[in-house]
Amino acid sequence: MITFTDFTYAYPTSDAAVLRGIATEIPDGQLCGLVGPGGAGKSTFAYAASGFIPHVMGGESTGGVSVDGRPVADTPLSELVAQVGLVLQDPFNQISGAKFTVREELAFGLENLGLPRAEIIARVDDMLDRLGIAALRDRSPYELSGGQQQLVALGSVLVMRPSVLVLDEPTSQLDPAGTRLVFGALDEVRRTGITVLLVEHKLEQLAGVADRVLVLAGGELRLDGPPETVLADPRLAEWGVGGTRFTEAARRAGDRWPAGRPLPVTLDAAVEGFAR
Amino acid sequence: MISTAVTGRRIPPWTYTVLGTAVILATYLYLLIDRPSSLAEGGQGSSAALIALGGYLVGSVLVVAGATAKLPPSTVAMMPVAIAINVVIGQLVNVLGLPLFLDSIGTVIVGVLAGSAAGAATGTLANIIWGLTISPASLPFAVAAAAIGALAGLFARAGAFRRLWTALPAGLLTGVVAGMISAPIAAFVFGGAGASAGRTALNATFQAFGNSLLGATTLSGLISDPLDKLVSFGIAFVILAALPARFRERSPFVRKYAVFGRRKAVLEAGGS
Amino acid sequence: MAFYQAGDSRVHRLNPVTKLVFALVLIIAAFAINVVWWPAVLWLVLLPAVAASGVFRPFMSRTLRYFIPFIALIFLAQGLFYPEGGPVLFHLGPLSVKVNGLLFAAQTALRLLVLIDAFLFLLLTTHPGLLMSALTERGMPPNISYVVSATLQIIPTFRARAQGILQAQRARGLDTGGGGPIRRTRSLVPLVAPLVLGSLTDVEERAVAMEARAFGAPGRRTSLAEIPDSAAQKAARWLMWAFAAATLVANALGVVS
Repeated sequence: MITFTDFTYAYPTSDAAVLRGIATEIPDGQLCGLVGPGGAGKSTFAYAASGFIPHVMGGESTGGVSVDGRPVADTPLSELVAQVGLVLQDPFNQISGAKFTVREELAFGLENLGLPRAEIIARVDDMLDRLGIAALRDRSPYELSGGQQQLVALGSVLVMRPSVLVLDEPTSQLDPAGTRLVFGALDEVRRTGITVLLVEHKLEQLAGVADRVLVLAGGELRLDGPPETVLADPRLAEWGVGGTRFTEAARRAGDRWPAGRPLPVTLDAAVEGFAR
Repeated sequence: MISTAVTGRRIPPWTYTVLGTAVILATYLYLLIDRPSSLAEGGQGSSAALIALGGYLVGSVLVVAGATAKLPPSTVAMMPVAIAINVVIGQLVNVLGLPLFLDSIGTVIVGVLAGSAAGAATGTLANIIWGLTISPASLPFAVAAAAIGALAGLFARAGAFRRLWTALPAGLLTGVVAGMISAPIAAFVFGGAGASAGRTALNATFQAFGNSLLGATTLSGLISDPLDKLVSFGIAFVILAALPARFRERSPFVRKYAVFGRRKAVLEAGGS
Repeated sequence: MAFYQAGDSRVHRLNPVTKLVFALVLIIAAFAINVVWWPAVLWLVLLPAVAASGVFRPFMSRTLRYFIPFIALIFLAQGLFYPEGGPVLFHLGPLSVKVNGLLFAAQTALRLLVLIDAFLFLLLTTHPGLLMSALTERGMPPNISYVVSATLQIIPTFRARAQGILQAQRARGLDTGGGGPIRRTRSLVPLVAPLVLGSLTDVEERAVAMEARAFGAPGRRTSLAEIPDSAAQKAARWLMWAFAAATLVANALGVVS
């Protein structure tokens, strides 16, 4: 569970607050999406949720962020990272470089945490299977495609068994094949019951996995609700957030879209609506 | 175990660094002043090569053990990138046929952003990696590489990187030190044979004019190294100036010593 | 990465530290004993190890590549320009070829041969990642292992990017000789600059990723891989160090000269 309590934050080199009065709670097991225009503070939100703000980024804040009831500011980072996993955008930068094979790369975090060897082996081999990358185990992480590298990054974080997973635009640097790989893995991940915060631009894919979507614009939370409601909201355009093509298609269809029926955000909903 | 001792449980890391530096300086001074007695002054039959190599090796190990033990993860994450910059620019310059090495720019950058210990560690590790991947013959020059990083840190601390016209002389001085400290290795271990025929010819010419082995390589070093490091410091300055202020000011070392001056940080749209 | 030759010989499977100690001991012995032809003996001891690991050809080709330029230069420099005294063999115009100069050149060349080749042997038969892990096991700070491994892996990527830039420049015909080094540098700078600046700003994300893997965690680290060692190797290492110590003592005492 992640709890933001009236959280306002400014980076150390700036006076302007990037996040203002954020108050929300992401309950256990929910996959919550976060969307917003560029510069809105989405990455900042992700860093705050995972404790990198304040531990690594510093800065001034009021209010607080807690994970599973404990304020992140009070928990040392080395403990936090085993509780909250963080996956970032650039696949190349997330490969530690310390290890020469995928299998060893997955084990890296567990080695740093000092887990016994037998436990490391068990968790790593299990993760390789669950993510479907067992065939890559002896390959160098630098030889893989972007999507595969993101799976390795995801795996090396999940293997530490965090209760929360935060992802900051994990597919923004990937091609469609890579994006499919990552969203496929996310689908698998949510079945484990882990709490997920997913910052994303790709609204259509997000609609397919999210239980709930938050809209962040100008440093404030504007909308909060299920994807069907939030992603079809007409105000998204004014805030600089896009929309799904399905919503747009239904809008342009005018009266060919059944009156009174909510605008679709997924392919299935669109097909169903147009079929009437 | 070195690491448990070095991470402060028994002996603090800086002791290793100080001890290592002392060993290196002692080795250099010994070779300079108290010429090892033998059949010849450092030539055939003398122990000069052994002392130079041994003293510098022991010193480097101590320095790098002390300097790397307590670096913060943000600095450690920077080092591979900096060393890769060393190698890529160094090899690019080679291909372009410029009469310079320019293979320490990354080391200087780390020294300026994270201080002398980080700079020395980067220099030594960069040298080791060059030795592991390009030529093992460069390994004996680890001490010079460490010195470049350490001096970059010292000069940054003193404010030399606030302006280009103070950074350049800092580079010149660093080159002088690097040249001098490498001279015993070039003379006794490599017998005056330098990295290129040109450098060797320079050494030989100085010898022909009556200089000793050590004297000749010192003079050669004083001719080429200062220029190379002056240009390196200059390029490092330009690169650092081109980096966003937010990136530079994140470093505690930069903030503490106002490495880039005390101008108010530029307001930038913080993160997204 | 650049030198390592994968293989399955007994030498390959030795603990990396054993091979490192072997290389260091050879080098110490080469520089400690002042007899001119002594390093050649050590080199001959090295050869069977090289042969046993099946890396003879890469070994010889690289030895020739790194070493031959040095031989020529050393003999030219010290054969003709040796600054110290001693008997003169013959004169070449204003230059004199001195006995001590030739001896010094020979000794230096042989020592360098051992220096370069001892390391080459180590590097050809040992995967750098394994070497780093073995050293970390024995107390080397993990930061060093991390930096060396990461650098070794990202250099090829950077090189590839730099090559791409060079090729793009070539494709635009900007480097067809007529430019001269300064001009070529000027046209390259705006292309290489984003590479350098981008890689530096990436460091922030790399640092976060490292911390997310608990790299900053205090306490003892464990290891996935087990690097085999044996009593025989331990004993061998002790013997080798003892031998190196003996040569150092001999040097200090001025024995064997």
